[in-house]
Amino acid sequence: MVKIEDLKRINMLKAVPDHLLEIIAQEAHLSIFGTNTQLFSVGQRVDICYMLIMGQVALKVELHPDIDVILDNLQSGASFGPSAFLEGSKAPYTAVCQEPCEVITLFGPRMIEVFETNPELGYHLMTGVAGQYKRTIGARAQMIIKTLDSHPELKQSIDEIETLTPAY
Amino acid sequence: MIEIEALKKIHFLKELPDDILEKIGAVAQLETVDEEAILVRQDQKMNFVYMLVSGKILLNCRSASGKALTLDELSSGQSFGISAFIGESLSNFTAICPEKSTVITLSADQMIQLCEKDFKLGYTFMQQVVRMFKSRMDKHTRQFIHSLANHPDMV
Repeated sequence: MVKIEDLKRINMLKAVPDHLLEIIAQEAHLSIFGTNTQLFSVGQRVDICYMLIMGQVALKVELHPDIDVILDNLQSGASFGPSAFLEGSKAPYTAVCQEPCEVITLFGPRMIEVFETNPELGYHLMTGVAGQYKRTIGARAQMIIKTLDSHPELKQSIDEIETLTPAY
Repeated sequence: MIEIEALKKIHFLKELPDDILEKIGAVAQLETVDEEAILVRQDQKMNFVYMLVSGKILLNCRSASGKALTLDELSSGQSFGISAFIGESLSNFTAICPEKSTVITLSADQMIQLCEKDFKLGYTFMQQVVRMFKSRMDKHTRQFIHSLANHPDMV
């Protein structure tokens, strides 16, 4: 059980109405994780959605055994692992606490059961998750256009350029 | 009004159950667009999702320095503009038909109304949107890491 006020600090939940936040609050747990705690790793099944109240979490991928690429450094209000709300999702990155973190967690399989009986909650939460993906995809599209603008030759070397555009 | 069978040819919709496709079909429109028609311009608000039935669509963009880039060529079954379902969206691209084409259009406002009138439909539909976005994000990440591995000077 967490406070609704804490849930309102999470970007992904900003548009979720209060009566639905009350249901989420009953299912959620508040946890503290120490520096360097690995919350999940690449390829692992994602069962928990994490929402950061305080602290910093790095999302990273191993490029070589001695080089990690940090995809993002998440701050308070951010969420990660929202694919826990989809059955059978695997993590595309490793999530590691960069400092002590206060995190709200939601257990995906339990939330999927709740969504089945309360599709209004499922709809609003999924819209929040889609919004988070949309912002990241938009930012990456801008980055790609900027990179191709200064290095047009890269277009030839990207095998799957079409997978970087918003066509599905 | 669009038949379910036509909607099932659209990659984005084909996994949805028939009862949901029927409701989507009732608000979707089939349009024939002429060669050189512009469906949406870069930086313009996206109000519709476009699903290509036949023909071709190019997604072009103009960079900050004014260079024109063609980033994608859509073939039948592909869609764009799905982010219009998630709040206000400005297009990053100009979508142009280089040949006469047939598209199914779906108004984002009408689709949101449908989702909010029938939350079971809304939940299933938005789950599909999230699946598409996640799959795209995962491909982005793999592509990014692949590019870094091939261009170690960029690290």
